[in-house]
Amino acid sequence: MTNRTLLIAFPKGRLGDELVPKLAGTPLALDAEALKSRVLRIPTATPGVAALLLKGADLPRYVAAGVASLGIVGSDTLDEMDMDLLELADLGFGACRLSLCAQVGVTLEALRAKPHLRLATKFPKATEAWLTREGLTAELVPLSSSAELAPLLGLADAIVDLVQTGGTLKAHGLVETAVLGRSSARLVAARGAYLSEPGRIRPLADLLIQALR
Amino acid sequence: MPVRTPHFPDLLFGSAARLRRWENALMGLLETHGYRELHPSLVLRESIPDGSLRFFDGDDLVALRWDFTVSLAGLLARRFPTPPPRVAYAGAVFRRPVQPWEAVERFEVGCERIQPEGEPSGEADVELARLLMAIPGVLGLKSAILHLGNAALVRRPLEAEGLPGDLADAVVAALSRRAPHRVREALDGHPSAARLTAHAEALLSELDGPGTLGALKTSPYADLLKDERDHMDRVLKSLLPILPPNLELRVDLADVAGLGFYTGPTLRLWAPGAQQELAAGGRYDRLFPGLGRPWQAAGFCVRLSRLLDLAETRPDLFEQPQ
Repeated sequence: MTNRTLLIAFPKGRLGDELVPKLAGTPLALDAEALKSRVLRIPTATPGVAALLLKGADLPRYVAAGVASLGIVGSDTLDEMDMDLLELADLGFGACRLSLCAQVGVTLEALRAKPHLRLATKFPKATEAWLTREGLTAELVPLSSSAELAPLLGLADAIVDLVQTGGTLKAHGLVETAVLGRSSARLVAARGAYLSEPGRIRPLADLLIQALR
Repeated sequence: MPVRTPHFPDLLFGSAARLRRWENALMGLLETHGYRELHPSLVLRESIPDGSLRFFDGDDLVALRWDFTVSLAGLLARRFPTPPPRVAYAGAVFRRPVQPWEAVERFEVGCERIQPEGEPSGEADVELARLLMAIPGVLGLKSAILHLGNAALVRRPLEAEGLPGDLADAVVAALSRRAPHRVREALDGHPSAARLTAHAEALLSELDGPGTLGALKTSPYADLLKDERDHMDRVLKSLLPILPPNLELRVDLADVAGLGFYTGPTLRLWAPGAQQELAAGGRYDRLFPGLGRPWQAAGFCVRLSRLLDLAETRPDLFEQPQ
């Protein structure tokens, strides 16, 4: 039974770009040839352990369903999806802010004063929680990417989005007007896999923590 | 409006025969240990809870049995001046699924041990754990893991610190995720933050055999939880000598599932690689007093629907029936 291949779900994109070099030279280093191909299931340096490369928004589902035993995903995604997962460690990397951003010259007070505030975001849950804390109401405009365009083209008054260096904001003439929260990469585990086979899953989780922290 | 595709399982020949065989074997085991069957009505008489399957019968809103323990408690409190000490049940419960893959109709077998308040309950807890230890063999599971926990390990420190409900809920949610960093985040700025975070780290530090209990000694609440630790120690000492070869015993100090219901020791049965626990139970001493009866109770429920799914997806985990 324990000769089944154990799958770890790794994110594509920003977090994945930081992750892959950190794993180089560790027992969980990803096969370089496979990485160059379009294959999404990549062998690691440890026999019996393979990586799945997944979009961040899909990754928690693979882990929650037990298809992958472990995974790495941003806490912003976890908080939005509220899946039944174990969150074994804050890995620290991929740190960024979840911020309210508006065009240069538009202040938080100006946004507060709007009778009908429109916020574009792919983080509706975190945005609603912040609005509740602030005693504000707003129309949420759901977007899945390129939110920076929304205030420029009149789709929304401001956006709630992840900010790492602020370079993309600056390039679009936007500034942060409030920080709603912080996000970083988290090591997640399938509840069933972890609780029923901790002897198999914990050593791998420890390896990942050691390599990535 | 969320789209729901509820899963109403139709059991074909093999699964239907397996369900019948397992139900009979488990009820036989419980009967030999003095547990007598009660069969609460499939139609709920009590107030209609959220999560139950509801429909109109003419002008009347009715619901189907959604939880045996709650239905039995109502029946026992209505019909018995003194509690029958051992009861068993078998049948289906119906719940609206929280996750899309959950079945609406779920088959269960279980038992309850009920006593007047004030009687020592330690022996009843051991009796239930011993019974649960026998169940993998009855079901033909090649190997299994029994997790022992105790809801009071989290409940008592939270009560001692007087945490408000929403903050206590955030701590429990973080523990359920086994995320000590989330406990720290949730308690940021609270006077008990350092103590409760250290406690969470102690609870989460190990998930292993009886030695795991030692982690409690490093908790700032070690003195407060001395009775619970001693009780778990006694249970372990009485179970270890009779542990079947195919069963592993683990201490799970951070088991917070059902914390609003359980008040003391908890039991969970797993199979290696299973995605969900196969049986679960524990002590719930607040249920009957809430119904006006000064009784204390503990019990467990074997989730036969999950076992049927497991037998389909992982037949390698089961012995072939003779």
